[in-house]
Amino acid sequence: MNRISKAKQILWIILGVASAVAVTRFIYGLGVTTNLTDNSPWGFWIGFDVMGGVALAGGGFVIAAFNYIFGKKELHPIARAAILTAFLGYAAVAVGLLFDLGLPWNIWHMIIYWNPHSPLFEVGWCVMLYLSVLTLEFSPVVLEKYPKIPLLAKIHKILYKIRIPLVILGIMLSTLHQSSLGSLFLAMPYRLHPLWYSPIIPVIFFVSAVYLGLMMVMVESMTSSWLYKREPETHILMKLRKYALWMIGIYAALRFGDIIFRGAGLFLFDAAWGTYLFWMEIFISLVIPLIILAIPRLTKSINFMYIAALSGVIGIVFNRLNVGGLTHLNNLTDIGTFYFPSWMELFISAGVVSLAMLAFFFFIENFKVWEHTPEDPDAPVKVKPKFNSFNIYLGPTKVVNRTKFSFMFVLAFALSFALISGTEIENKGIDSAQVSRARGGDTLLIDGNRNNYGVTFKHVFHQQKGITCGQCHHLNKPGDKATGCYECHSDMYNEGDAFRHDWHSSSEGANLSCFKCHDRNISKGKDYKYATNKNSTVKKCEECHKQLIPGDSKIKEIKSYITVSYTDALHKLCIGCHEDKLKTDSLIIVNNPNLAKCSKCHHEVQKFIYERKLFENFENNKWVVLPNRFEK
Amino acid sequence: MKAILTDITKCIGCAECVNACKVINNLTPDKPREWQKNDGLSSKNWTSVLSNQKYFVRKQCRHCIEPACASVCPVGALHKTEMGAVVYDKDKCLGCRYCMMACPYGIPRYDWENSVPYIKKCILCYDNIKSGKLKEPACTSACPTGATIFGEREGLIVEARKRIANEPHKYLNQIYGEKEVGGTNVIYITSKDCPLDFLFYYNHRVDKGRNLAGNPEINEPLPNTTKWAMGAVPFAFLGMGAIMTGTYWVIKRRQEREGNITDNGQQITDNVKDGGSNEQD
Repeated sequence: MNRISKAKQILWIILGVASAVAVTRFIYGLGVTTNLTDNSPWGFWIGFDVMGGVALAGGGFVIAAFNYIFGKKELHPIARAAILTAFLGYAAVAVGLLFDLGLPWNIWHMIIYWNPHSPLFEVGWCVMLYLSVLTLEFSPVVLEKYPKIPLLAKIHKILYKIRIPLVILGIMLSTLHQSSLGSLFLAMPYRLHPLWYSPIIPVIFFVSAVYLGLMMVMVESMTSSWLYKREPETHILMKLRKYALWMIGIYAALRFGDIIFRGAGLFLFDAAWGTYLFWMEIFISLVIPLIILAIPRLTKSINFMYIAALSGVIGIVFNRLNVGGLTHLNNLTDIGTFYFPSWMELFISAGVVSLAMLAFFFFIENFKVWEHTPEDPDAPVKVKPKFNSFNIYLGPTKVVNRTKFSFMFVLAFALSFALISGTEIENKGIDSAQVSRARGGDTLLIDGNRNNYGVTFKHVFHQQKGITCGQCHHLNKPGDKATGCYECHSDMYNEGDAFRHDWHSSSEGANLSCFKCHDRNISKGKDYKYATNKNSTVKKCEECHKQLIPGDSKIKEIKSYITVSYTDALHKLCIGCHEDKLKTDSLIIVNNPNLAKCSKCHHEVQKFIYERKLFENFENNKWVVLPNRFEK
Repeated sequence: MKAILTDITKCIGCAECVNACKVINNLTPDKPREWQKNDGLSSKNWTSVLSNQKYFVRKQCRHCIEPACASVCPVGALHKTEMGAVVYDKDKCLGCRYCMMACPYGIPRYDWENSVPYIKKCILCYDNIKSGKLKEPACTSACPTGATIFGEREGLIVEARKRIANEPHKYLNQIYGEKEVGGTNVIYITSKDCPLDFLFYYNHRVDKGRNLAGNPEINEPLPNTTKWAMGAVPFAFLGMGAIMTGTYWVIKRRQEREGNITDNGQQITDNVKDGGSNEQD
């Protein structure tokens, strides 16, 4: 076992977890798998995968420019690796974007629906074109391996001839979209912190991308020489160090000059989260690399060089994260919630990076990316076919590693897929309320009218009817504690002076059960509520009150037993008609729909209700949302 | 252009507008979820009523005259109609959510709970008005007190001025939405003790009372901020190309003159490009 093989195993495990997360994200949607909110619609995937990724891949055009245009041939040995990194970086950006977009299958719409005003449109086109250019720039490496196939050889020849125009085109496109990624944020002066929002943010982005490109090439060179146990390319690193120092100077001057010129210098010394982030970013991206690279004694040590380059890379990616979301108002003020990526977001990003790295290893092991294709470092494995401590047979020597990697991937995928709980994900973000046990027995006396006539209420009976808890008890709804009996038994208050329902049903009064008068066979509650002819099920008064109609009465038969009160009569006569009409006609065509609204007359009702229920603990002059009382 | 005028002093907070909006747009009941903002708007509430105990304010899309959301959308899924509404074409959308980031009022909402999500916001009942089904948006026609009314923007601004002039002791002498970010099609007038600055998206500079050079004025339309950068695109593109071609040519000539290369420049760069391919030969 050696470094590269271990690194690959870890990458395959990350990839397995990420694949499980990816499936979850596409099944359940963005809301429950990410921590994105309406306040922070862009998160880690935009900040790191897209903005960071494009910047990280900037090494390709920087090295291509130095090597082919400026004639710095000493950089040539790393040119192919730099272009490969850029190619894989952009491919990773495209893959990462597919997870972030809400409708990724519509990504091609940018080709047919144009909006040239949009910076994102321009970025999209540039990335698309540049990815094609990079493919053409890199494909000779693949093609030269097959000189025997005439067609491929011909394509190789053509590509070879146009390589300088291709490099120039690549540089042109890179310039555009590296800076346009900054232009994206020009449209957000009300979001971005003033230390980052600048009218020249496109220029700042371009310069920092060039700087990051150099640093990234250094990191990549040192990392791969460590992994493959090669000699570090010291002479190239020293050359890059010189350019990097220049870029540090230019970038720092641009950054601070811009802040001071705009008059945002006062923000530099605030005791605020935004200011801390700024100084952190400056320290990582500029101060550490500057100190190490400027002292020749330190640069002799490859470890220090690595720290410097890595610090520069992390610093500029941190800058992209800051601009992309961390320094937006929702994170810096009390307006919104603080955004921090969920573990799923982090794993998707890690998975995309792992995929790109694995592809990188594949290319350098199989094609002539470096001057010397690295020796297969897995050679020592051939010592025994039965490998590792568990003594599991993993196949012949040739495929041992492949088996191992596939095993890692499948295991990681299956385990994390099993551990992701579907219910937990589906319920994410729903406010939960405490539920207490119902007090009292199954039969309660409910004194709904507060007139000391409690109505017997059988809880068990309602449960047996199949009425869910939520139909009556829904404490989560603002401004609503529980459903009153009348919500289902809609006619229980349809009573006048002639008949006192509450007296009849109360234990203090007649103490009759419901079914003394109402037919037991006819289902009550939900079904009863929507029944068309309710009164027909009620027992007639004279069945109990035998002497109800005296013999000499002019009325021989009582047709309706329910009389309405004065208020009910008024409401029923005017408003009832309007409401009935509203149900059949469309909302607006009725002449005066507003008559059907309570608030037409009861101006104070809403204020009264809300003041009592909502504003008991009201902070002074704080704005809250009114609950929608129509949602049931 | 059509517009909505909301008079805060007349609103009684009955939330009929919220209900009417839900009915006309077939919006299902909303569960409070953690990704929603605390201002009542969500993918299923396109308008909401805020209250500070004394006054009620209706929140909705402002339908800016020069909308930032439409300007930044890479596929033009949002666009400003001749009626004044900013409408959304879900068939074009690819879900980048740039509109949500760019909106100066923080209005557009996302279907976070769906695996096929779309942008949701007030569209001023554009489809229904265009087809003649409605004469005015559902919310304004549902308002029992006339606190929110619909009409031509010029007429409403005249009306707002008239109201402020008639009762100067009652109204704040400012029409919100007349000039901000180039003017909006939903305008507010309010009582003296109820300034509506909080409806505007938060602004660090205003908060600190600092005016920074190069930042857009509060009355400047937001699409202007990206204009210079987008205008510079062709020049940057061609300029960079010209510089690179020129540099390449100059440096190649210089290297040829210095004679540290063979007479065939092509051969040199070939070697440079191809790296170790010579070793194979």
